[in-house]
Amino acid sequence: MNGNSKGAIDIHDLGVVFIAGDTRVEAVSAVNMNIKPGEFVSLIGPSGCGKSTLLNIVAGFVQPSFGAASIDGATIKGPGSECGVVFQQYSLFPWLSVRKNVEFGLKMKGAPASVRETQARTLLGLAGLLAFENHYPDQLSGGMKQRVGIVRALATSPQVLLMDEPFGALDAQTRVVMQEILTNMWQRFRISVLFVTHDIEESIFLSDRIYVMTARPGRIKAEIIVPLARPRTPEMTASAEFIAMVQQLKRLIREESLAAMGAELKDGGLSGFGTAVGPSGIAEMI
Amino acid sequence: MDSVHVLRKAEPPVKDYRSEVDPAPPKGRGTALSAAPAIPPNSAAIWLRSKGVSMLLWVVSLGIMLAFWYVVTRYKLEFYIRFVNVPTPAEVMQKVVEVNQSGKFLVNIGYSVRRILIGFSIAVVLGAAMGLLIGRYRFMRDMLFPICEVLRPIPAIAWVPMAIMLWPTNEVSIVFITFMGSFFPILINTIHGVHSIDPVLIRAARSLGANEYRLFANVILPGAMPHIFTGFSVGMGVAWVSLIAAEMISGQFGIGYFTWEAYSLVSYAEIGLGMITIGVLGLACSGAIQITGKLLMPWASYAGAEKK
Repeated sequence: MNGNSKGAIDIHDLGVVFIAGDTRVEAVSAVNMNIKPGEFVSLIGPSGCGKSTLLNIVAGFVQPSFGAASIDGATIKGPGSECGVVFQQYSLFPWLSVRKNVEFGLKMKGAPASVRETQARTLLGLAGLLAFENHYPDQLSGGMKQRVGIVRALATSPQVLLMDEPFGALDAQTRVVMQEILTNMWQRFRISVLFVTHDIEESIFLSDRIYVMTARPGRIKAEIIVPLARPRTPEMTASAEFIAMVQQLKRLIREESLAAMGAELKDGGLSGFGTAVGPSGIAEMI
Repeated sequence: MDSVHVLRKAEPPVKDYRSEVDPAPPKGRGTALSAAPAIPPNSAAIWLRSKGVSMLLWVVSLGIMLAFWYVVTRYKLEFYIRFVNVPTPAEVMQKVVEVNQSGKFLVNIGYSVRRILIGFSIAVVLGAAMGLLIGRYRFMRDMLFPICEVLRPIPAIAWVPMAIMLWPTNEVSIVFITFMGSFFPILINTIHGVHSIDPVLIRAARSLGANEYRLFANVILPGAMPHIFTGFSVGMGVAWVSLIAAEMISGQFGIGYFTWEAYSLVSYAEIGLGMITIGVLGLACSGAIQITGKLLMPWASYAGAEKK
């Protein structure tokens, strides 16, 4: 839709510190990452590692404490229609029909009603939702709501699509179907995507590249290139290559999860044993 | 979640027409899948059975009340409560015919309805507007809310002497008291409505390019709408309470005045008639609000079924 030239995201030495009362929480620390125009990049890591915070910075909802984030060289100042966002929670406006939800961004841009309608119906058709254009969100199932959410985010032709665990609330079967739909839609639009998830298979199936984050404060632990061919098909998930990647990522994330739990357990009084408890020690105890 | 979705209403669940597990998205507009609701053949019978029983019980319930009224007044029962002077249903019915021979009764109703409409309308505009501003902007809250919190505990009826001093005519002071009664419920519910909007909706609107003005018109207002209408319903009830009290105390004309005057003139049947008229008018007003709410918010009947 907008070619392959725009939508480069650059994050440079970025850090975020939240201050709540007199506690200072370092959510993200010294993160460097980039997304090339038209690239699908996943961000994966243990829960609470700050991956959603990173996405919120790119979306303009959160301001970084240190460093800088930019899209196509321009520093991100606040939310706007250059970034489409799909949220984990259902975020459709319940008082608008499916089509009016999709038209929302175009309306904010001041597009005339006829243009809005044509564009919305085209996109809804691509997502197989045209039959439901006049339904209200509360009449739809969870998977359909998220499909409408993706379509709505794409309607303003953004340079970048940010997705914050968009399928997290869906059941396993629906998730798999949604991943296929998403990969097909991406194949068509080829816009840059930053996809936050904690589902390893999902990240491999969808992405060109995966950033693995450490436990809090979140840093980039590893960058993994997914060599699978495009377009992606469900059969690929059974390939030896895919399974090897799953194993590799599982190992990386397990280390971090244990490190995170180790920190919690130490705070919780394990230090009273008088022995240093390392991540591997905890794994054995569990 | 799926079972909730299917079970939540008698209406045909959307989901059944198009399974979630459809392979790759259909290309183009070739969705041969119809979303038209199919009505089960025996739905009329089911509707009648469930609604019919319910309606029958309504009639029975009202019948019991009428029968009780008839018995205690017909035999002039006296057991601590004294029904000696209370008019019978027939006497009240007869009064309906009598009072309508002159236009005076209708004039009284006209006065009350007009006062309600003016007082309530001003409360709707001011209450909703202030509520939206106070709910959305911290500055507005800090500026306006303290005044509201100080005035709110004073019942509208307590404003009667002050209103008579403040306003040039009796008519305006009655409208003012009606306004005072309905203003605070509308205000408080509107503020609550703004606060109840899911923050993710505001983020979504922002990411779709909404500026503050458009956010206000397209998200804050419709998002708060269900609560605003709750405020209207409560406010309308309090408006009638305040109106009748004001009319009884300081009034000329009006259905409250009519009822109080009937007591002074020892016309007991008219007391009953006045009370019933007030009840009917109040019911009509809250009915009008409910219907308006349904027309303005067709989506609201689906909402909440799957929420949190």
